[in-house]
Amino acid sequence: MAVQQIMQMQPASETYKIEHSDEAAKWFVGVALGFLCLFGIFGLTTAIKFVFPGLFNGVNFLEWARIRPAHVNGVIFGWIVCIDMAMFTYFVPRLTGTKLYSENIGKFCAVLWICGVIIGTLGLLNPTDSLNLWWMTKGKEMEDYNPISNLFLAVAWLTNCYNLFRTFANRRYRQMYVALWYTMGTCLWTAFAYIIGNWPAQAMDAQFGWHIAFRGVNDANMNWFYGHSIVGLVATPGALGIAYYFLPKSSNVPLYSHKLSIIGFWALGAIYIWNGAHHMIYGPIPYWLQTVATIFSFLLFIPVGAFLTNFFGTIHGEWSQLRFNVPLKFLVGGAVMYLIACLQGPMEALRPVSAIVHFTDFTIGHAHIALFGFVTLISYGGLTYATPRMWKRPLYSESIAEWSFWLSFLGITIYGIAMSISGIVQGEMWQNPHIPFIETVRVLTPFWHARAGGGALMVAGMFLIAYNTYKTATVKYVEPDTASDDAALAQSSTGLKA
Amino acid sequence: MPKVSAERSVVYLGLFSTLTFVVGLIFVGIAPSLDHNFSYQTTTDQDHFHKPYSDLELRGRLVYEREGCMYCHSQQLRPLVSEMERYGVGTSPAVPSDEREYVYDEPHFLGTKRNGPDLSRVGGKYSDDWQYSHLFNPAQMTPGSIMPAFTWLFTVANPADPSSPPVPKQDAVALVAYLQSEGRDRMVFDPTLDNGNGAWRPWLKPADAVISQEQSQAAVVRSTRPVQVTGGEKAKGST
Repeated sequence: MAVQQIMQMQPASETYKIEHSDEAAKWFVGVALGFLCLFGIFGLTTAIKFVFPGLFNGVNFLEWARIRPAHVNGVIFGWIVCIDMAMFTYFVPRLTGTKLYSENIGKFCAVLWICGVIIGTLGLLNPTDSLNLWWMTKGKEMEDYNPISNLFLAVAWLTNCYNLFRTFANRRYRQMYVALWYTMGTCLWTAFAYIIGNWPAQAMDAQFGWHIAFRGVNDANMNWFYGHSIVGLVATPGALGIAYYFLPKSSNVPLYSHKLSIIGFWALGAIYIWNGAHHMIYGPIPYWLQTVATIFSFLLFIPVGAFLTNFFGTIHGEWSQLRFNVPLKFLVGGAVMYLIACLQGPMEALRPVSAIVHFTDFTIGHAHIALFGFVTLISYGGLTYATPRMWKRPLYSESIAEWSFWLSFLGITIYGIAMSISGIVQGEMWQNPHIPFIETVRVLTPFWHARAGGGALMVAGMFLIAYNTYKTATVKYVEPDTASDDAALAQSSTGLKA
Repeated sequence: MPKVSAERSVVYLGLFSTLTFVVGLIFVGIAPSLDHNFSYQTTTDQDHFHKPYSDLELRGRLVYEREGCMYCHSQQLRPLVSEMERYGVGTSPAVPSDEREYVYDEPHFLGTKRNGPDLSRVGGKYSDDWQYSHLFNPAQMTPGSIMPAFTWLFTVANPADPSSPPVPKQDAVALVAYLQSEGRDRMVFDPTLDNGNGAWRPWLKPADAVISQEQSQAAVVRSTRPVQVTGGEKAKGST
């Protein structure tokens, strides 16, 4: 049996039994789930507005193009980056064999994070129609939050990095498991990308006359350098770190190949950063830069292949666990979506394909398959596994978690298929300049209905996950004191094991 | 003493991770900016592509940014025949975008999604009246349009009577001034002009612009609730 194999493979060194309080991780989980539900609703509203454009007509702060960046930035920073911090503060102490450096610093970060996201969102919604550059949107995708919000988020992130790095420094296991590498990579790359990308150039130019940033096409290039880093060097390594920790944990199978994970990590770090310009294929940027971005988009098959081989190699022979193991189900669903997203992505970077699908819904579908299908499902898996262990009691309901998985997976599947077809339809219609633009919009209505339906399923899944976590944390739990209770608990895959 | 490998050292791991980021930054972030006239005005040709914005147009850019227009409207034409024809007018095909058109843009509005058409060549295609009526209620100008109605950019001519014609506020005036400037300065080199010596001319031939604007003006007259643009706050904002 696999478990005996693991026992034999354990190093001879001493293992440390530590009571982890996980206070900081709990706070991050709470913040992340709250923002997930809030900004999920925002996203659903934008989807419904495609079907009913007159919804909230005349209400300035509920205009489509003000809700949309609030949704995009909200789910990225309020949910994805925040759940990364939650999972990091959960598994870094466990993998380093020491306590978290400071639980209070972690809680402080969670509070700063709430402030930053709320301030940024209010600036985007802008109910007062302000034109103040320190308050309104910065107007560039994924860096829309205003400079005040950026300051909060940057300070919170750096403080949390400090907390994690001090924990690394105190570690008792010399060898660092690959999840720790991804944690460290995410910490550093997010810090670099965030500060470079969110430089408040426009505000400083207007206020003080300081021209210390790029303009025009250069600005666009840096925008997408940053934008792709947010996807590739923040969301992806964060989710891969979570997957590398929780996959062996939840399935009780050792990792397939350590060497492969090393290759994957360094390939990811070296390749993802070169991809930004593929968002502007055929655009006004230099031709060589587009070609470089296309080539590096294809090189992404190396880290993606390394991870997926490792992932499916690990659970090979253990597929039967999917019948009862809910966290594993989430992880596998996420890995499948990662495969799909990473098949789409390099294809979109090809010039002939980009000529058709660029500027269409295809890109929107791709972004959601990557950020919801892959990153969010992996995070759900980690969350479902970690919640009982943080609060030291069994999961409130496995069937709710199961429902959440199927709603999310079905929702993103409908969403992805609808958007991919819609994008190709509109892109092909644009090839004929004699079709009026409005006709290429009207024809998409059925796909937009499907998208709103899929989105509603995804949001339902979000609320179920949040409800399950809330109930797990708050329902009064009586410690089992008899052997029969322990045995019942041990049968539950998500319950606490001895 | 075991060999210190990167996988056992936080410092090495951090340094190498930083290195991968910095190498990427230098090659795809910094190096392109050193390319020929990529960011700032460096050529005498600049006036044939874009001239500096007026104060009103700069304010219009801010309104454009605040209302999030760039999330649905790109400002870049790709060198594809279908796009040059689609966004052209009459006998003037639209010219693909050039990096020199953007040197005064802070921030850029290149965009990645076309829920609505590209706007980089919209200046001069429609009359001001059409633009105001369209901003106030897009669906009355383009049936089936999913664009939001920007009613808060307008006030009513007579505050006592809510059904009186809407009047654009300063923000709407600035926004339309900016929209009309998009692509306006873009010139093309026409070898047939000047007795075969060739000369620069606007990409949109004046005759085409006149016909196009007359057509759009006719649509405004047909619409049910025209926006009153004479008087009001427009006079204050005109340049």
